[in-house]
Amino acid sequence: MSEKNESDKTDLDLVRGIKSGDSQAFEDMVARYHARVYSLSYGVLRNAEDAEESTQDAFLTLYRKIDTFDESKKFFSWFYRVALNTAYSRARRRPPVKTVAIEDYLPRFDSDGHFASMSLPDGALAIDDEAALRELATRAEGFIAELPPAYRDVIWMNDVEGMSANEIAEVLDISIPAFKSRLHRARLYVRQRLSEISSPPQAIAAEAAS
Amino acid sequence: MTNKDGKIPPGCGTGAGTGSGPHDEVTCRKLILEFLLDFESGAMPAEERTELERHFDECPPCGIFLTSYRATGKTLRMLKPSEVPADLALAVVQFVRSRSGKS
Repeated sequence: MSEKNESDKTDLDLVRGIKSGDSQAFEDMVARYHARVYSLSYGVLRNAEDAEESTQDAFLTLYRKIDTFDESKKFFSWFYRVALNTAYSRARRRPPVKTVAIEDYLPRFDSDGHFASMSLPDGALAIDDEAALRELATRAEGFIAELPPAYRDVIWMNDVEGMSANEIAEVLDISIPAFKSRLHRARLYVRQRLSEISSPPQAIAAEAAS
Repeated sequence: MTNKDGKIPPGCGTGAGTGSGPHDEVTCRKLILEFLLDFESGAMPAEERTELERHFDECPPCGIFLTSYRATGKTLRMLKPSEVPADLALAVVQFVRSRSGKS
């Protein structure tokens, strides 16, 4: 029987290896997923040390609970839920973080569907150069952290982690419409907050179109 | 809501439009809150997209909003997953070994 390289093995190959006590299979699984689990954990915890410890705990849970994994399901969905729940559990042990009421930052409209005058977009979101863009990105990360977890996790997974809609919906056990609603509202919130801190709008149109 | 010519843009909360598509009564509210995500994702059928493009072209507030929404997307794409500690994989394996006595 030919041996597969780590990269050739499917998740299910590795799962079965771990179940059978193959320590190399576990190490291969760590090599495959530790970075994504760390980043996912960081999205919840916003702290490198906590994210590292949460990653370790998630893999310990994987190791201990792998026999409960239903092999007819997708492994990554199961394990990402494990990782998220581990991070949530750690987050609950910390002092509560104040989150925003997202509805307060969404655009407002009159009864006829027009922008309410108080909510007219002023276009004040300027990106003059790469340095300005990086500064805005740093601020955007902070704004994402202010969001309620249901919104924060969706925008982090999609816009930062690059996970697909289907992956996120599976991991969070939500519908695609619910995913889209949360993602859009989260982006609208970040847009509003960036607009509040940004400089005049002239530079943005050409930049955003580039 | 008027455009630069002082006219109410077609489809801008007026109920006007092609009269044939699902978005023939596209208000600013619907455009921004319901359709913008699909419009930007490219998942929208061409006919519907064309109608919304017309709204954006002819309704200054929505046009400005679209520009800033796109700038937000550009900003968010600058964010990178947090830097993973170089020795994390080894630390994870050692941690699990120490807790399980196996692996």
